[in-house]
Amino acid sequence: MGRAAASVTALERRTLERRTEVDFALIGHQESWRSAADVLAVLRGAERARLPDEEIREIFPWIPPRAVCNVEIASATGAKARGLYIDCFIPPDRLDCDYLHDNVGRVRAAAACAINRGARIVSLGGFSSILIEGNFDQLPERSGTVFTTGNTLTVAFIVQGIRKMCALDGREISKSTLLIIGATGDVGSGCARCLTPFVKRVMLCARNAERLRTLAAELEADGSEVEIATRLDQLPFAADIVICAASLASPSLRLGRIAPEAIICDAGYPKNLNPRGDMTDARVFFGGLGQIAGGLSFMPDFKGVLNRHPFLDVAHGCLLEGMALALARRFEPFSQGRGLITRERVEEIETIATLHGIHLAPLFNAEGPLEGMRVLTSNKRPEVGFAPGNLK
Amino acid sequence: MESLVSLNCAEQVVCSSPSPNASIWQDILAQAVTGELMAAMNYSALSTICDDPEEVADALEHAQGEQGHAAAFAAEGRKIGVDVPNNINARYWKRIREAFMRSIAERDFMACLIVQEIMLESFAVASYTRVGKAAPGSLGKTFAAIAAEEEGHIEHAMEILRAERARDPQRFDDKVYRLHLEVMNTLTEMVAKECRHGQCDLCHSSCVKPSLSEVGLTTVELRGASLQQYLKTLDALGLPGEVTLQWVAQLPV
Repeated sequence: MGRAAASVTALERRTLERRTEVDFALIGHQESWRSAADVLAVLRGAERARLPDEEIREIFPWIPPRAVCNVEIASATGAKARGLYIDCFIPPDRLDCDYLHDNVGRVRAAAACAINRGARIVSLGGFSSILIEGNFDQLPERSGTVFTTGNTLTVAFIVQGIRKMCALDGREISKSTLLIIGATGDVGSGCARCLTPFVKRVMLCARNAERLRTLAAELEADGSEVEIATRLDQLPFAADIVICAASLASPSLRLGRIAPEAIICDAGYPKNLNPRGDMTDARVFFGGLGQIAGGLSFMPDFKGVLNRHPFLDVAHGCLLEGMALALARRFEPFSQGRGLITRERVEEIETIATLHGIHLAPLFNAEGPLEGMRVLTSNKRPEVGFAPGNLK
Repeated sequence: MESLVSLNCAEQVVCSSPSPNASIWQDILAQAVTGELMAAMNYSALSTICDDPEEVADALEHAQGEQGHAAAFAAEGRKIGVDVPNNINARYWKRIREAFMRSIAERDFMACLIVQEIMLESFAVASYTRVGKAAPGSLGKTFAAIAAEEEGHIEHAMEILRAERARDPQRFDDKVYRLHLEVMNTLTEMVAKECRHGQCDLCHSSCVKPSLSEVGLTTVELRGASLQQYLKTLDALGLPGEVTLQWVAQLPV
């Protein structure tokens, strides 16, 4: 059978490579079994019955990380960029530390997939950003592909969302006490740097006391009032603006003491807030999301499935960062490492995103939109319930 | 059940007293022996459509190797005190054989390789590896060793198939999809949680699937590992992951 293995000509190889190259790749994972089931339902096609939940839980963990669909994004300038969505196929109930090794392996395989497909820039969504938040050695061999966590644009949209919510509610941000949960993470610390100069005081909560002290010292050097705590119940004041940006395996956070009618931004993926938490009077919104004026399309059509939001063409800032940079033809590792997001970098990515028609998404939460515009009415959004845990 | 093909084993086999799970291993071995015999027959058939004497020799060598695997599995059965049947006309195997023989009739060498090396061997490698970990003593070692050998086969065929795909990726992918529909539906029915359409014609009494947990195996694991191996093999061939994912998602459960 040896002779059949005739060598591929260089021309054939180049043609093949050109055909498969893409501008960007988005790496992500599903945050709930409901969203995993919807992804499989689209793949099976409308003519086949949905798989029973039990089958989905049995099949899903065996799927190797791979491209799920092609993505195209259009800029306000008329430019377009082509990409891929690659899912790590991490089972949604295995996002905790017990599965860390396996999950990092899945993200690496997804990254290798992006490299093999010739993606010039790769955005790492949700858990997958772990790969370049200080673990650069975990990245597979690559040439011509750069990676970004996308966290800078996420921070930009969280900060914009807080400002917008304050404006909608007639709050003065300068008189507010800001609490950031997950404050020493890349997103949390970026938000702290952007918002601390504008609030009355800031409270930082995270598990690592040493990192908390370092961040507090940095912020205090600018003359800000900063409190730190490793547990929420240690905090001395009731916050009236809260940013939840912790890495949690499931929506399990209960806030405890917060000011009546506090503004809460849940920016976690998976969501941070426990849906049963008592926040009757709080003004909760899901943060870190942007909307693409020029449109976002998937092939096959995963609209409303991969981006489970009540508005059209909405996606997470972390994924939008890679797309914005691809539209700007700036194939650079814009966000890497941990704790390096500054106000200047946030402004820079905001400028790039704005130029291409990528703006803060209309605000919404588990109950639905908090303001009315371009609500998704298409019937292509299969059984998406507004329940926390399935809205990303 | 009477075997359709006799397996003469020159090796002196010492039979131990039947193990408590011997009947379960007997049914597992019956599938393995039948699969190997079918592979041997497939390679023999393949040799008849090869033009190059070197390719003919290669195919016949492969056939002999698969026959050896069948004999090794049968010998493992005797060691645990069971006679391992085989039946290439059993429900699922017959359908797979027919699909392969259609490619032979069309003298489509690449299609034959795709069915045997990409589809059947993916399932063999993945399931033998799993069984190799669960089975005790020499039985486990034999499954593991044969899994490793089969993996070697895949690598050899991959070079040929990659070169073929590079010539015309779309045509190649269309062919894989056609064969996928013919063969993979049957293979996934074989490893489904239950045999919904009746007996597989190989289990010696009732269906072995519900008893697999008694020997540390499950159909969920065997199916999952097999489909995972199949997807990875298609990835290595260069087929787009988003396309093959859809193929696999549409298989029967």
